[in-house]
Amino acid sequence: MSDDLKTPLLDELEKGAWPSFVKDLKSMADKKPMVKDLLGQLEKSYADKRGYWKHGGLVGVMGYGGGVIGRYSALPDEFPGVSHFHTMRVNQPSGWFYTSDALNELFDIWDEHGSGLLNVHGSTGDLVFLGTVTDELEPTFRALTAKNWDLGGSGSDLRTPSCCVGPARCENACYDTLALSYDLTHNYQDELHRPMFNYKYKIKMSGCPNDCTAAIARSDMGIIGIWKDDIQVDQAAFAEYIDSEMDIQGSVVDKCPTGCISVEGKEIKIDNSNCVKCMHCINTLPKALRVGKERGAAITLGAKAPIVEGALFGSVMIPFMDMSNFEDMHDLIDRIWEFWDEHGKNRERIGECIERIGLATFLEGIGLDPVPQMVKQPRDNPYIFYEEYFEEEEEA
Amino acid sequence: MAGISIEQIADDMYQLVAESAGQKKLKSTDLTKAMTSKYGDQVSKQDCKAAIKLLIDSGRCVYGYFGGSSIELPHKEASAN
Amino acid sequence: MSTTTERRTDIGPPHYEQFLHPLIKKNYGQWKYHEVLRPGVLSHTAESGDVIYTVRAASPRLISTNFGRKLTALAAKYADGYLRFTSRNNVEFLLANKDNIDPLIKELEEFTLVGGTGRSITNVVHTQGWVHCHSSATDASGLVKVVMDELSDYFTSMKLPHKVRLAVACCLNMCGAVHASDIAILGVHRTPPRIDHSTLPNLCEIPTTVASCPNNAIRPTSIEGRSTVKVDEDKCMYCGNCYTVCPAMPLSDPLNDGVSIWVGGKISNARTEPMFTKLAIPYIPNNPPRWPEVTDAVKNIVEVYAKNAKPFERVGEWIGRIGWPKFFDLTGIEFTKYHLDDFRHAGTTYKRSLQNRY
Ligand code: HEM
Ligand code: HEM
Ligand code: HEM
Ligand code: HEM
Ligand code: SF4
Ligand code: SF4
Ligand code: SF4
Ligand code: SF4
Repeated sequence: MSDDLKTPLLDELEKGAWPSFVKDLKSMADKKPMVKDLLGQLEKSYADKRGYWKHGGLVGVMGYGGGVIGRYSALPDEFPGVSHFHTMRVNQPSGWFYTSDALNELFDIWDEHGSGLLNVHGSTGDLVFLGTVTDELEPTFRALTAKNWDLGGSGSDLRTPSCCVGPARCENACYDTLALSYDLTHNYQDELHRPMFNYKYKIKMSGCPNDCTAAIARSDMGIIGIWKDDIQVDQAAFAEYIDSEMDIQGSVVDKCPTGCISVEGKEIKIDNSNCVKCMHCINTLPKALRVGKERGAAITLGAKAPIVEGALFGSVMIPFMDMSNFEDMHDLIDRIWEFWDEHGKNRERIGECIERIGLATFLEGIGLDPVPQMVKQPRDNPYIFYEEYFEEEEEA
Repeated sequence: MAGISIEQIADDMYQLVAESAGQKKLKSTDLTKAMTSKYGDQVSKQDCKAAIKLLIDSGRCVYGYFGGSSIELPHKEASAN
Repeated sequence: MSTTTERRTDIGPPHYEQFLHPLIKKNYGQWKYHEVLRPGVLSHTAESGDVIYTVRAASPRLISTNFGRKLTALAAKYADGYLRFTSRNNVEFLLANKDNIDPLIKELEEFTLVGGTGRSITNVVHTQGWVHCHSSATDASGLVKVVMDELSDYFTSMKLPHKVRLAVACCLNMCGAVHASDIAILGVHRTPPRIDHSTLPNLCEIPTTVASCPNNAIRPTSIEGRSTVKVDEDKCMYCGNCYTVCPAMPLSDPLNDGVSIWVGGKISNARTEPMFTKLAIPYIPNNPPRWPEVTDAVKNIVEVYAKNAKPFERVGEWIGRIGWPKFFDLTGIEFTKYHLDDFRHAGTTYKRSLQNRY
């Protein structure tokens, strides 16, 4: 540690069982003046109880409108090392899978060109390189692309798609989340790198309704695996659960939201026509129960955080879509973007746009038929604007 | 139909960006809509995309970000000292 | 081979297949079931009979390459060089050999914790805070650290009624999307932006600034002949949206910034539908470096939940069963006027029946 860096407040965060980012950052402070000044400024924030960053407008790599977040210290004289402290979002591989070699290469690049600090990972999914100066952006980008890495999205563009571990290591996966994520990321490079939308558009892919990527809450478009036919049952494995100490009645039967499970002797019976695919029984009895065989995905649209019009969960737009090829998905996405382009307002997310314009109009616009799975219930107010009606005496 | 060249569209777009500099930040969609209303179906969305790419890649314009992405004239880093 | 001068763009991320462990590649899409062998250790069994073991450990999310290189070295040593990260910032090592589990855990525990599976409190989804963001009302990394120091026992065990997901967002933008977590800590500003009329006309576009406000609190005005804006303080909800668009309207206020605590959200569809979090504690002042009032409050909620919830009940499901009056009663949290919604559609949160517990 450098002698001139005193951080009595941050030092308190070196205590305790949880891994300490302060300890970790300090291990870089001697090598990197940038990290030293980051700690210095952070200590000041802790003392003064306020942040000292300025929003950055206009930095990036040549040709791209996304992938870099400009950030400047509000105290550049005191902390020159962080007078520029931009972030670069490196597009992660599907499912956040890496090899040690690949990660080490990325670390080498970042040690050479930036602060050596990163986020594993950003909320959108990218591997976030945290902190470099404007002059290093282009060299970092070249070093990345030389090793076959590229930047992700930021600004009013397609944000970096991300997906759960899916079929790579999860028996619940109802479609290949990794392949779709790869496919969409590559198919929409232009939309990812050159902001052309009203606002951001996030796509998250989860392989089943457990929704490990929080697609329904955190993406404008969630693609969530689902099945249509019967839950697959291994009765022998179920009998073993019965023979174990497990309270099947309390833990499974009574917890089914639609009461569609019963047990006769050592056999489980499921009324699949009433199952709402909530995953509870499958999660609880992983050896005996598995998702069905007729698999695909449900599409939700419109989740977003509270800014600007209040937060929204995504809502079901397509209850079931075949996922054996991705052509239909491209087609759907293109139609949605087309509509949003035409009808959306500046800084209006797709969910807000649909609320303003009305779900019915939106469906008509992208060519989908209304189905009851899209709503909790039909409307309960009578203020209907009828479009089809008979003119008086029309046929007379 | 492709009567208008990409270069021509890019020049027109540049004109718009230059005129509104300091008053209104224009987005991709604003430029595209301006072109389609000027030239009707002589220009396609693809042409407009290509024109924007040309503007950016040539360095005549840059992307900006203040609460939404815009296309602007290059200038000094806004918040830098 | 590409020359050094060639500039490549739009190549996208590398194909994931090259990063998959051979066992995963072989059994891709053919997994049969999984077991949680103990906290932080999973086994996945494939139709073929192959088994792959996963060891899950915490990362602080904000890491240096030093920390990163420790992980890659361990992966090289024990996991054939294969590792991945989870959607909640944990790192997972993928092991073909069961015998490597114990030595790997031993080395991991020298600098981090192993756990975060099943009925635990796993890693915390969070944002940038004072480390990197201009609009933060509090720090994120520090809050995560102090809260998880307090709750680390729940990370390394699986003794809760069900999983508890925590999140920290340092302002209402909620980059981390905290709003569907069991317990969320949210940074709040409580005073309107202070307008710097001397720089605003140069730095900001008036129409964009006016339009940025979700509550229509910003109006154009002119002061000494220069166009600027004013804020209707009764309408402002301190969201900071204007500051993002207009740097001449800073919102930070050391005296008044702080955090609020939200409970009962969930993402998964298991049993009940996904739920938003609801307000538990409207305001706790920032008290760095260790925010003792916040850690106490979170720990209290976790412990009351652990004691009272039935197995498989998430926090929101538990509150759904016992009702909000009882939640406030059991936790000792005060119910105030701030708990009453007054934003759009507030009425949907009012009680429209007499079904209450007394
Ligand atoms: C109007 C609303 C929003 C504004 C103004 C905003 C602004 C910002 C800013 C300034 C940053 C840079 C932070 C930094 O690295 O210094 C950021 C990062 C980020 N934002 Fe937002 N944000 C908004 C909404 C959201 C929402 C709704 C989400 C996700 C659901 C989100 C996801 C992210 C992510 C993933 C990052 C990367 C940093 C991280 O992972 O912590 N943002 N945002
Ligand atoms: C097609 C539109 C509607 C029709 C034809 C309709 C008709 C009626 C009729 C005939 C009554 C019984 C009145 C009585 O007993 O004297 C009634 C009662 C009532 N209506 Fe409606 N109504 C309509 C829409 C609504 C809507 C939209 C609301 C509220 C959102 C509403 C709220 C009520 C209430 C609160 C009562 C008293 C119910 C009760 O006594 O149990 N009505 N309505
Ligand atoms: C037995 C059923 C389940 C299995 C097999 C399972 C499997 C997984 C897997 C493989 C991951 C890593 C995913 C990734 O990062 O891409 C994961 C993470 C996650 N899952 Fe599940 N999941 C199950 C149930 C659930 C349920 C019921 C929920 C929500 C209530 C849930 C929420 C999450 C979350 C939040 C993560 C991120 C975890 C972390 O980083 O520690 N999962 N799950
Ligand atoms: C000021 C009040 C609010 C606070 C403190 C708050 C807090 C949070 C937090 C902490 C998250 C991140 C959740 C996660 O970890 O997954 C989040 C996300 C979210 N919140 Fe809220 N929330 C607030 C108001 C609302 C309201 C009123 C709604 C909707 C009616 C809402 C809907 C959502 C949604 C949909 C997300 C996921 C958003 C996204 O990622 O784009 N929030 N909120
Ligand atoms: S979302 Fe479903 S398929 Fe994907 S990792 Fe989670 S449990 Fe598995
Ligand atoms: S998945 Fe859910 S709804 Fe379907 S049978 Fe199992 S517990 Fe019941
Ligand atoms: S939540 Fe707010 S303060 Fe935190 S990183 Fe996001 S925009 Fe910045
Ligand atoms: S802080 Fe939010 S509500 Fe207040 S003036 Fe700014 S944009 Fe409007």
